[in-house]
Amino acid sequence: MTTAQNTDAEDGGGPFTNWVKSAIENPGKVHRAMFYVALIFFMFTTLFPIYWLVVLSLTPNDLIVNMGPIPRGFNISVFVDMWQTVPLHQYMFNSFVIAITTTAYVLLVSSLAGYAFGRLEFRGKGGLLLLLLIISFFPPAAFILPLFKLFTGNVVLFGLHSPDLFNTVGAIIVPFSGLFLPLSVFILTTFYSQIPDGLEDAARVEGTTRIGALFRVIMPLSAPGLSTAGILTFIAVYNEFFFSFLMTTGQPENGAPLVWGILAFQSQYTSLYNYMAAASLIGILPVALIVVVAQEKIVSGLTAGAVKE
Amino acid sequence: MGNVTLEHVTKQYDDVTAVNDMNLDIQDGEFVCLVGPSGCGKSTTMETIAGLTLPTAGEITIAGKDVTKLPPKDRGIAMVFQNIALFPHMDVYDNVSFGLRLRDFETEEIDRRVERAADILQIGDLLDRQPSELSGGQRQRVAIGRAIVREPEAFLMDEPLANLDAKLRVHMRTELQRLHKELDTTIIYVTHDQAEAMTMSDRIAVLNNGQLQQIAPPLTCYNEPANRFVAGFIGSPSMNFIEGEVGHDGFESEFISVEFDPTAFDVSVGDAVTLGVRPEDVHLTGEAGSIAHPTDPVDTVTDVIEPMGNEIFVYLTHGSRERTTMDEEQRKGDQLLMSVDPDVELSEEEAVTVRFDRANLHLFDQQSGDARCHGLVSSHSTATSEQRTTAED
Repeated sequence: MTTAQNTDAEDGGGPFTNWVKSAIENPGKVHRAMFYVALIFFMFTTLFPIYWLVVLSLTPNDLIVNMGPIPRGFNISVFVDMWQTVPLHQYMFNSFVIAITTTAYVLLVSSLAGYAFGRLEFRGKGGLLLLLLIISFFPPAAFILPLFKLFTGNVVLFGLHSPDLFNTVGAIIVPFSGLFLPLSVFILTTFYSQIPDGLEDAARVEGTTRIGALFRVIMPLSAPGLSTAGILTFIAVYNEFFFSFLMTTGQPENGAPLVWGILAFQSQYTSLYNYMAAASLIGILPVALIVVVAQEKIVSGLTAGAVKE
Repeated sequence: MGNVTLEHVTKQYDDVTAVNDMNLDIQDGEFVCLVGPSGCGKSTTMETIAGLTLPTAGEITIAGKDVTKLPPKDRGIAMVFQNIALFPHMDVYDNVSFGLRLRDFETEEIDRRVERAADILQIGDLLDRQPSELSGGQRQRVAIGRAIVREPEAFLMDEPLANLDAKLRVHMRTELQRLHKELDTTIIYVTHDQAEAMTMSDRIAVLNNGQLQQIAPPLTCYNEPANRFVAGFIGSPSMNFIEGEVGHDGFESEFISVEFDPTAFDVSVGDAVTLGVRPEDVHLTGEAGSIAHPTDPVDTVTDVIEPMGNEIFVYLTHGSRERTTMDEEQRKGDQLLMSVDPDVELSEEEAVTVRFDRANLHLFDQQSGDARCHGLVSSHSTATSEQRTTAED
C-alpha cells in the first residue's frame, strides 16, 4: 500500500482514481479483484454457519444469550457430555440405515430404468420419461396426508389393510425412494445411453445376459454417474427433516433420524443450544467426508453429457 | 462340428427388410466371407447368427443345434467387432479371460488358455496393460484373443480390420489366415472390402438388398458370377457391361457385336442381354495373338489413361459421338475400360482397335440380371457348365 500511495502522490490523483486508471489499462486487475470479492462472499456464506456452530458449541449454555461472533469460553467437554444426554449415536445410525437403504434401492431401480430408457427402443418411451419428470416436480408435502393414512394402516385394498409402517424406518425409506428416483433415472439414462452398443454386444456374446452386461460392463463404466446419483440421494435423505419428523414420534428405537436427535436436546423448559450445535457438527461430518472423497466424481458426473467429447 | 446353417432367415424392421429369405450352409472349419455394399444386410445376417437380433422368420443351427431362440451366450460362438469393443475398465488379461471367468473355469485352465492365445497372437507382454494404452493393431489382437480362448464352435468377425490403417490391415489379413489354419475353426467374416474377401475366404457369399446373390469359392465368383450384381461387385476395377440383344449371328449392340451361334448356348434370338467383359479381357489388336479365341476387332478411341504402375487402365470410347454433348448415362454406356501392360505406349485421343477374349465373356439377362452363359466358345461352353456343377457340389 505504501508504494501505491507514493505513486499516487507523484501522479497527483487520489488512490482510488489511480487504481481505476491502472485498472482501465489492465483489465486483468479488475477480473482478479472481482474474483476475490466473489470468492470471499461465497466462502463467508458457506463457512460462517459452520463457524457459528463451533462458536455456539464451545460457549457454555448459560452464557449463550446475546452471543457475538467470539466464543465465550472453551467448553470442549460438550462433545463428550452430549452423548450422555441423548443417545445421538442411535439417531445417527438410523439416519445411516435410512440413507443407505434408500440410496441402494434408488440406484438399483434407476439403473434398470436408466438401462431401459437409455438403451432400448420401445413405444411410449418419451411419454413415460415425461411422466417421470412431471412426478418429480410434485411438492413432496402434497403426499404427506395420503402417505400418513397409508402407513398407519388406514388404506384398505381388496380387504387387506396397508402395512403399519408408521414409526419405523420403512415409513421414511419408502416415500424417499419414490421421491428421489426420478432424478437418478434421468442421470443414469444419460450415462447408460452413452455406452457404445458394441461393448454390451461383446459382453452378451462373451457370456452375460442383458442384465449381466448392465452390472458387469455398463455400470462400472458409468461410475461417475452412479456416484453422482448415489451421493445426491444420500445427502438429500440424510439431511431430510419434513418426512422424518412427521413419520416417526422421535424415539431412536422407532427409527427417528438425526434431526430428531438434535431436537431431543430441546425440552419444554430448557434448550441446550451448545449441545445442539455440537450434535449438528458431528452430524455434518459423515456427509462432509463423503463429499471430500467423492467430489471429483461428482463434478465429472454433473457435467458429463453437457458437452459432447 | 462347427457348421452353421441358416434356413429361410428373414429379418424385417418396421419398413425395411434387412435380410430376405437367407439360406446359408457353412461347413465346419470353413472361412466364409459375407460381402456386399453398405446396407446389404451382411451385418444383420451376422447379428442374427450371433443372437444379438432375433430373426423375424427362419431357423439358425450351429453345430447341429437349433439356436434360433437362444441368447448369444449359449450359442457357442465368439465375435470380433468392428469397433473392437474391449472393456475399457479391465486390463488385457481380464478382457481376454472375461468369457472364461463368467463360465466358472478353473484358474489354472484360464491361465493356460490365456497364455496359449497370447502366444499365438504375440500379446504376452501386454497382459497387464489397459486397453487405452494399446495401439490399434494390439487392441485388435486382444479382441481376437478374447474370442479364441473360448474355443468356440465358430468365430464371427464383423469387419474387424475396418478401423485399422491400410498397412496394418494387409498385415492382419495374413495373420488371420494363419490363425484360421492353426485353429481350424469355422470363421464367418463380414467385410465390404472385396480384396479381403477374395484373399482370405474359402467361399464368398455375396449379398445385395438383403438377398444372397451367390455363394461360391472366390475364383468361381470372379470367373462365373451368378448374376450381373456379383459380376460388377467382385473384381476391381469393375466389369464392363454392354447392353444389346441376341441376333442370328450372336451378340449385337450399337457399336459392338460378338459373333457366336445362339443355338449352342443358353440363349435364344431376340433376347435382351448384357455382355460382360472384364478390363483384363480387353486386348489391343496387336497383342491379340496371345488369346486363343479372339472376337472381331472393335474400333475405339482412347479417352482417359490411368497408369497404376503395374498396369495401365485405359478408358475407351466409341469415337463416333461427341462426348462433351453426352450426359452421364450415355457416357457410361459408351465407355469401355481396358487394362494393358505398363510398357504399352498410348496417348489420349488415339484410335485403337481392340478384341475381347471369347473364353471370358459373360452374358446376363437384362431383365433379371441372371447370368445366361460364361465364355462364348462353342467347344468350351460345355466344359464351363460342367465346372459350374462341380463347383456347386
